Amino acid sequence: MRDFTILIASLALLAGAFAQGISTQGAAAAARMKPSGRPFGVKLTDVAAQVGLRARFVSGGESTKKYILEANGNGVAFLDYDNDGWDDIFLVNGTQFGAAQAGGNYLFHNERGRFVDVTRRAGMTHTGWGSGACVGDVDRDGFDDVFVTYWGANVLFRNTGKGGFKEEVWPDKGEWSTGCSFLDYDRDGQLDLVVTRYVGFELAKAPLPGSAANCQWKGAPVFCGPRGLPTGGLTLYRGKGDGTFTEAMRREGFYGFTTVATDLNEDGWTDIYIASDSSPSLFLRNNRNGTFTELGAETGLAFNEHGYEQGGMGVAAGDFDNDGRLDLIKTNFAGDYPNLYRNIGGGIFEDVVMKAGLAVNPQYVAWGVGLVDFDNDGWLDVFQVNGHVFPRLAGEPYANPRLLYRNLGGGKFEDVSTIAGPGVAQRASSRGAAFADFDNDGDIDVLIMNMHEGPSLLRNDSTSGNGWLQVLLSGGGLGAVVTLEVGGRKQAQTVLSQTSFLSYNGRRLHFGLGKAAKVDGLTVAWPSGRTERFAVEGVNKLVRLEEGTGKK
Amino acid sequence: MTTLVLAFALMQATPDALSEQAIELASAGSVEEAVGLWRKAVQMAPAHFPSLFNLGFTAVRQGQDEEAAQWLRRAAAANPKDFNTAYLLGTALARQNQTEEALRVWRTALALQPENRKLMQVMSVEYSKGRYFADAARMAEAALRLAPEEMPLYFLAMKARQDAGQFDEAHALARRALGRFPESARANFEVGFHLHKMGRWDEAMPYFEKAITLDGVYEEPHYFRGDVLLRQEDPAQAEAEFRKALERRAEYTVARLALARALMAQGKLEGAAEELREAAHRDEGNPQPHLLLSQVLFRMGKTEEAKAAKEVSQRLRTAKPELLNVPQPRPFPNR
Repeated sequence: MRDFTILIASLALLAGAFAQGISTQGAAAAARMKPSGRPFGVKLTDVAAQVGLRARFVSGGESTKKYILEANGNGVAFLDYDNDGWDDIFLVNGTQFGAAQAGGNYLFHNERGRFVDVTRRAGMTHTGWGSGACVGDVDRDGFDDVFVTYWGANVLFRNTGKGGFKEEVWPDKGEWSTGCSFLDYDRDGQLDLVVTRYVGFELAKAPLPGSAANCQWKGAPVFCGPRGLPTGGLTLYRGKGDGTFTEAMRREGFYGFTTVATDLNEDGWTDIYIASDSSPSLFLRNNRNGTFTELGAETGLAFNEHGYEQGGMGVAAGDFDNDGRLDLIKTNFAGDYPNLYRNIGGGIFEDVVMKAGLAVNPQYVAWGVGLVDFDNDGWLDVFQVNGHVFPRLAGEPYANPRLLYRNLGGGKFEDVSTIAGPGVAQRASSRGAAFADFDNDGDIDVLIMNMHEGPSLLRNDSTSGNGWLQVLLSGGGLGAVVTLEVGGRKQAQTVLSQTSFLSYNGRRLHFGLGKAAKVDGLTVAWPSGRTERFAVEGVNKLVRLEEGTGKK
Repeated sequence: MTTLVLAFALMQATPDALSEQAIELASAGSVEEAVGLWRKAVQMAPAHFPSLFNLGFTAVRQGQDEEAAQWLRRAAAANPKDFNTAYLLGTALARQNQTEEALRVWRTALALQPENRKLMQVMSVEYSKGRYFADAARMAEAALRLAPEEMPLYFLAMKARQDAGQFDEAHALARRALGRFPESARANFEVGFHLHKMGRWDEAMPYFEKAITLDGVYEEPHYFRGDVLLRQEDPAQAEAEFRKALERRAEYTVARLALARALMAQGKLEGAAEELREAAHRDEGNPQPHLLLSQVLFRMGKTEEAKAAKEVSQRLRTAKPELLNVPQPRPFPNR
């Protein structure tokens, strides 16, 4: 036989021609900056059991997840449903297949920092595949109502004002709703509602793990989706003024999750931003005539800085650089960074996550997120909860620690997760998170949903000694933007009906003041279009602002 | 003449003789006649290895991979110890995108020649194509152990490590390559690239600069240097670097997009739009120039044009979703 070595070598070269060039993709953990060495003075400790917050989240199978429905968990909420000045806690819950009564939501009444389960007493015993919650005073009776999204019929829990809720089950369209937000997009003084849908999910038709390319993760068979499953979308409902709603807009073609509604382009009208999983995220600009235009791509809010779609989960709005403009942070799936969308004005945003130092932990599937000031230094920090979607995957743990990044100013953040207390280091497969001062001690605490466990309630024991101011707007002020001037800087915050991951932070806005002894000024851009300036006397207190009582 | 040879060969009528004669015919360019003789030999002796192999080999050369695989499977059954058969069979399968089958056959070939680094190199590439990045890295590094003087093996290994999400290992390989080839532009660039990927931009810069010094026509260090400058908020200098990258390779879409970003950062929106239109023209199926163009046009107040650009981008994304997917690593399926 002849020697074919030469020819074979040439074939090898042909095969070698498939060698790939340099990849510019893939999320490596970015290098951490040198520790600032500045004291943080925040210690977060899980006190859930200690203060009576006992519950258990149910979400399908614990060790195996056959369907995507079982994977995403729920939102949580701080809300003061009885207006006693103490934020109560509402937990959305899922259920199990074949056990329709398993799970069920929880409502806990806050009794000066301790919690009592009032679910049954308050009429909140509804069970089902719950997703998230949004809160607003639909009937303008001064008491917050709660809308809960489900796979199946959504439910509006109307606050009776007498310590209870009346359940109003919406028509079951066989859809899987996830995000929602109350807003007043047409400035008629009535709350409207936007509801997002995740995927079209029909149990009887749902493909099984491993049955297609979209049902595998790194070669292992896993539940299918979201890609490959029918997309979800959104429905906008217009409030009719009598506490009922009519459908005003419907849009399909994306896998919708958390929905925030506020004025992102500073034109005085409430816009909508939706974190979307494995599809472009949406920015719906309010056209001021009852319609919206989707401008995610044009404004830089749909993709990452390189134009790639991401697995968007949670979103928070706040002014991280204290330029008086609302920025956004969005959490994403593992192997990716969050987005820190800096508002550069004119409704334009740029993703500065790398520059900000927030690209150091891409290994986690990230969900709930808050832009909140833990140490009251006047700069919004970032808190993020994590948890994989596949319970048993080699090398990718289901339970992860939380992350806390302190804001150093100058657009930079520093990962302080390891020095911020045991509640941050604690591992769980978390989803929703909410941020409020549940014990009224002047610092922000954290409520977290953990898959197949009870919630965490991280009490903030801050030793910073910094001042603070809490602001409560009349009528709830959903979508209002409050700008505080202190120490020569402007801090903007907004009142949201939903944020983080399918969660709600309560009505109160919390501003850190640093060492400032006084507030120089406070401006409220109300969703009605009115902008007013208020004088604030003193610090370390809650101020209640009534629309129409400030200076124009 | 050919007819005479053929007739003579048929008179000889042993499979070996037919095969030898066929090889002479093939060498003289009479491939069809040669194939006829090998087929005749196989008819006479169905497990006649040389004929089976040569039929497979010829089919591979002619690009008839499906047929080649059939002959070569029979050849492999007839002579399971033959490296070339296993190698060629793997090649035929790989070219039919039967990645896993090809790799299984090549694993057999590698067992026959455990130090064949050319095969390791080919296998590493094929493992990567199948997203078996850990195996790709293992194979490339095995080749590297045998031939630490071969620079391309470092790059192959570090690419596989990077695709596997093992960024520290990829960086370490880049350092090793630079240690061995300190005057290599590529080795310098790779260290800079990995530092850049980790956000260590300041540290990356000297490596890009050295790569530029060593190789005047190397475009990528210019692009990455520009990217660092842009992140350091020096868009004018960044623009200059991106232009240098594009002078060296006009089809470098990523650099043109970056140039547009640098222009946007300087408020030169018309210029940015022009570059993006150029990028869209040069790289027709790529949605990214259209996406960025939609942002530029929106900033210019041309909302309808912006919307149109966005829609083109969306259409291209939908048409080729794999373009914008980062491949996930997976383990090679053993059976």
